[in-house]
Amino acid sequence: MRIPFFSLFITSPFDALQDHAEKVKECAWAFQQAMECYASSKCEVFEDHRQEVIRIEHDADAIKRRIRGHLPKGVMLPVEKFQLFQYLREQDNVLDSVQEALNWLSHRMDNGIPEILERDFFLLVDAAIEPTEELSRMVGEAQIYFKNFSEKQRKKVKDIISNIRQMEHDADQREYALIRKVFQTETDPITVFHLVRLAEIIGNIADHSENSGDMMRAMVSK
Amino acid sequence: MEYVILVLGFTIGFYMAWNIGANDVANSMASAVGAKAITLRQAIFIAGILNIVGAAFIGSHVTDTIRKGIVSPEVLNDPQIALVGALSALLAAALWVSFATWKSLPVSTTHSIVGAMIGFGIVTGGFSVINWAGLGAVVASWVISPVFSMVIAFVMFKIIVRVILSRSDPVGTAFRLSPVFIGIAVFVVIMSFVFKTPLGKNLALSTPMAFLVAFVCSVLLGFLGKRLLLWFRNVRTGEEGAEGVFRRIQIGTSCYVALAQGANDVANAIGPLALIYFLVTTGEAGQTVPVPYVLLLFGGVGIAAGIAMGGARVIRTVGERITTLSNTRGFSVDFAAATTVLLASKMGLPVSTTHAAVGGVLGVGLARGLEAVNFSIIFRIMLYWVLTVPMAAITSVVLFKLLSLIL
Repeated sequence: MRIPFFSLFITSPFDALQDHAEKVKECAWAFQQAMECYASSKCEVFEDHRQEVIRIEHDADAIKRRIRGHLPKGVMLPVEKFQLFQYLREQDNVLDSVQEALNWLSHRMDNGIPEILERDFFLLVDAAIEPTEELSRMVGEAQIYFKNFSEKQRKKVKDIISNIRQMEHDADQREYALIRKVFQTETDPITVFHLVRLAEIIGNIADHSENSGDMMRAMVSK
Repeated sequence: MEYVILVLGFTIGFYMAWNIGANDVANSMASAVGAKAITLRQAIFIAGILNIVGAAFIGSHVTDTIRKGIVSPEVLNDPQIALVGALSALLAAALWVSFATWKSLPVSTTHSIVGAMIGFGIVTGGFSVINWAGLGAVVASWVISPVFSMVIAFVMFKIIVRVILSRSDPVGTAFRLSPVFIGIAVFVVIMSFVFKTPLGKNLALSTPMAFLVAFVCSVLLGFLGKRLLLWFRNVRTGEEGAEGVFRRIQIGTSCYVALAQGANDVANAIGPLALIYFLVTTGEAGQTVPVPYVLLLFGGVGIAAGIAMGGARVIRTVGERITTLSNTRGFSVDFAAATTVLLASKMGLPVSTTHAAVGGVLGVGLARGLEAVNFSIIFRIMLYWVLTVPMAAITSVVLFKLLSLIL
């Protein structure tokens, strides 16, 4: 027997949105490990980490498609449907940036990162990954806000967003400092190009997290 | 031969009552279980008891032979034809409600029996026996009741968000304002009790008098309710927030819907059965027939059986999957549906609780209170509301022809 009221209610996209955010977090951690491996002189498992990231990205893609494909015309959500899609696209861009960074590394496997810059790169990676770890919590808190519409809860979400913005700002500072240092210490044009581009791509990871936060800010605005 | 029909009538009447229980229990208890106000077991028990009580003690002891007077009673002049007609109408309505439940579409049991009776009326007396104005009111109700309910639910939920949820201390505000919300819920409940249930009609209160009684009761019960809420909070200090306040209020509204459902819907199953019973025992029937207690109790037990057997799965699934319908939303839906049914029946429209409840859900969705509501499905649901009358009528005609051959 089926239920008379059922057809009115469809699966909420917010749970899936949080699943997607969790994938972003996993992916970022896998990237961190791959980066450490890349920097060490004898890295054998880099390709494993890369494949891991590709697999996670693939899973996240399936979640993304499931969200987009299961919101039919005329569905009513606590937020505008296009806002939700925009948010999802930004969150997905975080993953794409992680993957792009790994791909970029894989194009130049032998040289690694010069020892003098190693520490700066690790700091940049940490700074860029920090905001991505907040996304899942932000989605969870926002979901609670859409349930209880409490001003306190809204404040909580807004605090996470401004926190993410601050983290992105810190990551930016590290990125500029690193690029300056690359120009100062390296002379080989190919190495400079490779490292500068790498720093930019890692910076993008934080940028897209911040954009996700901005989209969320629009969704919880009254 | 007549006793064969009587036995068949009892069987099919029970089947119809069973269907009402299985299908309509979602109206009263789904939101309460979905919002975790009560457990599944409690819901089944409460709904079953209240439906029996509502049917046997509040249900009408005199029923229109043909619900809502849409078909002229002259079709009943020949007792033999009337017997077969009532039987086929009952079966046709029951089949349609079963089909709708299977297709998971919320249709009105009242409109099903009206449609089935129209089919029987047309096949025996031609189109002239149909009261077109009455049928027009049915058509109007397809639009009026959901739209009306949608507006009320929308406004109600917006008010709850504005005055309670978005405040810095939602729980305290909810307690402070609880007499107001309990009061207006009690007001609607008492008004519909007086105007909608047969027992209330027997009291024969005038409209201003009813207003006064309802107002005084709602003020008193509003403050009494607040007392109870505070007392319960002291007993169990759980972190529930503002939703917890509405949880208790919602148990009250759900119980009312179950009671009113028993009182009003029992006639859908028992009306035609009473006609058969009366024809068999006395040999003739007019515009109305008396309904013995036994029949009302029989109908109530049938509904309760439907709730216990079919409804359990319905409510469990609803409770598990429609978690987005929290207590404030559930209260808004219940309140909107009850108010709509009250106002519409005061205007003489044969509205359905089912239609009003669907409208209420959409209203809360429009107020952005639900995580995901599918609006496009409403056209499919409305199509089945429209189809209910002709489909029940056609089925009734076919069954009538078949049964005429056999009996």
